[in-house]
Amino acid sequence: MMKKFINDPSNLTQELLEGLTLANKDIIELVRGNLVVSKKLKDADRVTVVTLGGTGHEPALQGFVGEGMVDIAVCGDIFAAPGPESCFEALKLADKGKGVIFVVLNHAGDMLTANLTMKAAKKEGINVMKIVTQEDITTAPRADANNRRGFVGCIPAYKIAGGAAAQGKSLEEVAAITQKFVDNMGAISVSLTGATHPVTGGDLAVLDDNEMGVGMGQHGEGGGYKIPMKTADDTIALLMGELIKDLSVTKGEKLMCVVNGCGATTLMEMLISYRAAVRYLEAKGIEVVANIVNELLTVQETGGYQLFIARMDDELLSYWNEPCNTPYFKRMPTMK
Amino acid sequence: MVLLKKDFINMLIGASDALDDKIDEFSDIDSKFGDGDHGVTVGRISKVIRAKAESSPEHETLSEMFQTLGKDIMNVNGGSAGPLYGSIFEGFGEGLQGIYEANEAAIKSMFAGALENIGLISNAKVGEKTMMDTLIPACETAENSDSPLPQLLADIAEAAQQGAEYSKQCQAKFGRARFHKEATIGTMDAGAYSLYCLIKGFSTAINQ
Repeated sequence: MMKKFINDPSNLTQELLEGLTLANKDIIELVRGNLVVSKKLKDADRVTVVTLGGTGHEPALQGFVGEGMVDIAVCGDIFAAPGPESCFEALKLADKGKGVIFVVLNHAGDMLTANLTMKAAKKEGINVMKIVTQEDITTAPRADANNRRGFVGCIPAYKIAGGAAAQGKSLEEVAAITQKFVDNMGAISVSLTGATHPVTGGDLAVLDDNEMGVGMGQHGEGGGYKIPMKTADDTIALLMGELIKDLSVTKGEKLMCVVNGCGATTLMEMLISYRAAVRYLEAKGIEVVANIVNELLTVQETGGYQLFIARMDDELLSYWNEPCNTPYFKRMPTMK
Repeated sequence: MVLLKKDFINMLIGASDALDDKIDEFSDIDSKFGDGDHGVTVGRISKVIRAKAESSPEHETLSEMFQTLGKDIMNVNGGSAGPLYGSIFEGFGEGLQGIYEANEAAIKSMFAGALENIGLISNAKVGEKTMMDTLIPACETAENSDSPLPQLLADIAEAAQQGAEYSKQCQAKFGRARFHKEATIGTMDAGAYSLYCLIKGFSTAINQ
């Protein structure tokens, strides 16, 4: 039985977006009902960043709209991509003369909408370049990346793109930088308990008391495999082992590492797992130079997390360290 | 028999009725390998279809009616179903360009338009457990059947039903279901089923 603090399920998205906007009045505003727009967009004189996606993942994607990250998030319905018209309007709004980066996660609905949007945008002469995130390593080999799903990787990608834009890079430069970043990242999910769809009340995934699911999707679409429960350290060893193999990470390299809680996993578990991740990598001579340990892109109340890594260098670190101010990710100018 | 705008309006209402009738079933099927919201999305699409049927201005031609409806459907914010169904309806409209009274040739053109338009955004073929399992056979029958109206639409609906049935035995190659691989065999594709229901709704409306 689903137990959530909601009202009429058919108004979920509207109410959540209004709540988000009310809670962050100085950073964002809600336009046309489903565009979450940065208040810094109006005076922007740089490349801007637009993204699209369904709601139901938190705080993604709209929780990262603000200075230094996303300029407009086009929100669909729960786990459902928005339509091309709102995306087209967002691109028009976002083009301040220096071009727009359109970040799209690789899911059927998002990609269908994005492609229709790009067609309309090109016709209108909007200067936009599309970046697709597809870093889930379990669904297909790296050589077949178009069959890989977009997981939490879009969030660090927004920060990289936003940071490069803040430094005044051109559209082609920001696109190249972001593309290089997304081509060198990987994520894998592990789940302990399933969640419920807030509109239909249906189960998104079901797991036994003693099993964990590795590589399951974000909307109940399965994939991956189930194995008996492991300790935090052993789970990380399994997941990180797959990730560094997939990315061919070698000794001496520097990585970003993210532990993204999927909704019902405690911070305690995330931190214990992050500790294991850093130590596992250290033992292999790999240094973690950037990280986030938090809920960035949940799957309602799923127990589990997504483990994410990305290749880093000094240039990417400079974009990562640029200040930003969004509802759920902030970086001070003095932080190095 | 020729179909006039009022007949097409009845077809749209018939389609909306047929979809509304099965909303829970659509979500049920979708919950097996997806997130179980196909019924919610189709419900929204059905509302949009009905709204167009009830409010299409007099001067709106058949082609304009279907094309603007296609655009409305495309923007229901319902994931893949919006763009896919939207493309089908836009395609219906393109196929009915310049037609005010539809004979058999017009229906053939209508379905050919849908197939061509959705082909611009999807390269799914028969056997991959998608809406195309329903649409392609329906369009082939539209093209090849010698039946007069209204029987022609009944033939098309029959082919649509067989196509949806066939999708049961296919392995999903598109959308979220594809991550379940062989486990998808044995369950009808939710989109194939809803599209069949829609086409059947068209046929029922004029084959009373």
